[in-house]
Amino acid sequence: MNIVIIGGGTVGAAICAELSAEKHDITIIDGDPNAVEKITSTSDVFGVVGNGADISVLRKAGAEKADLVIAVTSGDELNILCCAAAKKLGAQNTVARVRNPEYSELMALMKSEMNLSLTINPELAAAKEIYRALRFPAAAKVDTFYRGRVEMAEFVVSESSPLCGVTLNELRSKLNLRFLVCGVLRGEEAVIPNGLFRLNAGDVICVTAPDEELSRFFLAAGEKKRPVKDVLIAGGGRVSYYLEALLQKAHIKSTVIEKGRALCDDIAQEYASATVVCGDATHQELLLEEGLERTDAFLALLDTDEENAIISMYAKTKGVRKVVTLIRTMSYIDFFRGVGLQSIVSPRSSTASFILRYVRSLANAGSSHIETLHKVLFDRVAAIEFRVKENIQGLTDVPLKALKCKKGILIACIGRKDKVIIPTGDDVINNGDTVIVVTAKHHPEGLEDILES
Amino acid sequence: MNYRMVGYLLGVILSIEAALLFVPMLTALLYGEPLMPFVFTILILLAVSVPALFLRPKESRFYAKDGFVCVAGAWILLSMFGALPFVFSGAIPSYVDAVFETVSGFTTTGATILSDIESLPKGILLWRSFTHWIGGMGVLVFMLAILPSVGGQAIHLLRAETTGPQKGKLVPKMKHSAMILYAIYFALSVLMAVLLLCTGMPLYDSIVSTFATAGTGGFSVLNDSIAGYHNPAAEWIISVFMVLFGVNFNLYFFLLLRRYKEVLKNEELRVYLILCMAATAVIAWNVWDSFASAEGCIRTAFFQAASIISTTGFSTVNYDLWPDLAKTILLCLMVVGSCAGSTAGGLKVSRVILMFKNMGRELKHLVRPNSVNVVRMDGEAVPTETQRRVSNYVCMYVSFIAVSVLLLSVEGFGFETHFTSVLTCINNVGPGLAKVGPAENFADYSVFSKLLLSLNMLIGRLEILPMLVFFTPTVWKKT
Repeated sequence: MNIVIIGGGTVGAAICAELSAEKHDITIIDGDPNAVEKITSTSDVFGVVGNGADISVLRKAGAEKADLVIAVTSGDELNILCCAAAKKLGAQNTVARVRNPEYSELMALMKSEMNLSLTINPELAAAKEIYRALRFPAAAKVDTFYRGRVEMAEFVVSESSPLCGVTLNELRSKLNLRFLVCGVLRGEEAVIPNGLFRLNAGDVICVTAPDEELSRFFLAAGEKKRPVKDVLIAGGGRVSYYLEALLQKAHIKSTVIEKGRALCDDIAQEYASATVVCGDATHQELLLEEGLERTDAFLALLDTDEENAIISMYAKTKGVRKVVTLIRTMSYIDFFRGVGLQSIVSPRSSTASFILRYVRSLANAGSSHIETLHKVLFDRVAAIEFRVKENIQGLTDVPLKALKCKKGILIACIGRKDKVIIPTGDDVINNGDTVIVVTAKHHPEGLEDILES
Repeated sequence: MNYRMVGYLLGVILSIEAALLFVPMLTALLYGEPLMPFVFTILILLAVSVPALFLRPKESRFYAKDGFVCVAGAWILLSMFGALPFVFSGAIPSYVDAVFETVSGFTTTGATILSDIESLPKGILLWRSFTHWIGGMGVLVFMLAILPSVGGQAIHLLRAETTGPQKGKLVPKMKHSAMILYAIYFALSVLMAVLLLCTGMPLYDSIVSTFATAGTGGFSVLNDSIAGYHNPAAEWIISVFMVLFGVNFNLYFFLLLRRYKEVLKNEELRVYLILCMAATAVIAWNVWDSFASAEGCIRTAFFQAASIISTTGFSTVNYDLWPDLAKTILLCLMVVGSCAGSTAGGLKVSRVILMFKNMGRELKHLVRPNSVNVVRMDGEAVPTETQRRVSNYVCMYVSFIAVSVLLLSVEGFGFETHFTSVLTCINNVGPGLAKVGPAENFADYSVFSKLLLSLNMLIGRLEILPMLVFFTPTVWKKT
């Protein structure tokens, strides 16, 4: 596809790097020559320096013939303007990042008038990701597939866990549950395991299971964490604001500690169920006073990454079962993972993955269609959901054990109407199914790409 | 530095060279000449390159300096191995001579150490001219066009090998950019060969002349260069194509896309064409008396002006015997060279334009110290960064010439010979004046001087920086 990306900040650069590796023709527009230079010397993309809402710049970047224009500059208004202009020039689809909550209703109302195909709110995306992580406290990260019917959870095998030292075949016969371990990160290397793979303490594993059975899997795996009933939130910014709405709906009690009076008032007025405390969340006494040691989950959502990291580490030493840390600077994420923070949420990387998911669903590869794509195990493994649109020679109606798949590819799940199948060798893929494929090395664009050519 | 990655890329380059050697080998087969020189070279190349292909690292991170080292290393190795067929066949017994000839070929210089060319086997001569064609557009660009996928960081390779002050891609994908460049190059070459055939030139000669013209090289298979054909129509065709191959290839791409406006507003093209015309006119006027017919005079003047400004270095006349004015004009054209992004050498017209505009700006600034002046090119403001790079480039260029002339003067062939030798080599032209004039050759220079001139040719072709980086010790540290 021809894609024009306006805005060469962190999100723009991240999208460029991902998409250019996938054979798309990409042009990046940014007003800062240095930003453009930096991106064009690391990714295989074309760079144009200028304002993305300037028609001559858009023409130069080829927006007239673009399949997709993505506006991710720092200004909401500029993003909307860029998209409107690009659409008028002839771009097929447009995506704008709009983060101001005051615009959100306007967007819903005027999406078609403003010629936007999709708008993204990074803080809302981050809030949703945090909420997902709270639903399975044992998991560091949870992604959903097949319209929410299938969950894929990442968690660390602890030394006391009954999973330790067991092969996957043994585990499956022991637990009598529908699940599949579809990826293991041992040290730096991600493996797509087979039945003989033996789990060790310290492995990060990625488990797929139908929605209702994942919590039973965690129970059986000795992760005796109850569902989260109450949370303590440090910081009352936009992410907290959006998150409160989700928590309220799920009847989870929340306490928000926020320094700014105005923000406190906002949350207190909007959400009756929330307890709002006006104070500095980086003070230990205040955190302890508000029940840090008793809470089910602690969320560090302050404005400064470093503060979030420090209070998260403190919360861990106090034995909080689930700690989620908000890190805005994407390059910090790996540092903080290194010191033991497992659940890290970043609005920027949420935005980038949200856009990438949309782009991949546009890229239609003939006989199958990519519905969603999630990167798991620290971006080392891709889990892709395909919908089969027609019969594929050598793939559909063939028992899985007879398939000649490329090495390092696993079919993790098949969705058929209301049924979720965790496949064994005897299952088959039919026309109309949804298939979730897990791979560490390949970039399949269609389902036929997983077969050995 | 990422040694494994650089090693892997060099391996790929050398295996490409091995594949390209099949072209002269088949020619030798056709003419019933010995194949051994080519077979041996191909085997040696494969023995070196195939193990290197296994070096492909998991970590393909690649920085600007790796790109520079890779490009410089590739050109040095290509020349060192490319020289082997000349030695094995006995055409050029001395290895240093053969390296000089090969470097001169790949860098599209066309300076030769051979005096009797016609006695050599056809296969060897084809290889000699073929190196022009390979070096013209660049072998790394070729690699980028055929390799399945190289990461975004390979842009450093493209930048280090293409010429001019502002470098970029034509289309988002580097691979496609490289393919487009080669497609245009190939199409123009085929067109030219066909036209030459139509004038009655033999097939073999048409092909080698096309190789030499397309790469703006200048090797000929006749002792008298193009004059030996006594074919005015061919001379016109070659003149026109020399000018065409000196044009920025991006403009041909814009023509194909019917973006005529961008071609029309291109200042560099206008100045280049004006320079060609003006030089032709003045030279024709200056040498009018020595020709019998007006057509002959204009044809020769145009041919020589085109040959020198496009840094090809063909000759239809011994211009060393021309009056001073005509000779000096040719020397100036040597330095200016052709357009950025073409196959030609020299300073490049756009650099010269920017240099003069920058001078104008400095003057304006001196006269009115508070005025804010912007240098424009093609109607757009040129970033200060680009101007700084152009000024630096010109400084380095001048200092290299000065040092080389100094080192060369040990030989004692006279200043004119030494100065034009360096000038013709660093600008990738071919012949100079006096003892290295169009009717002479470089055979008399010592081994040291030949290597120095070879280095000059490489410096000129790769536009200085890659070679400088290559010889900077800190770059070789492991990262």
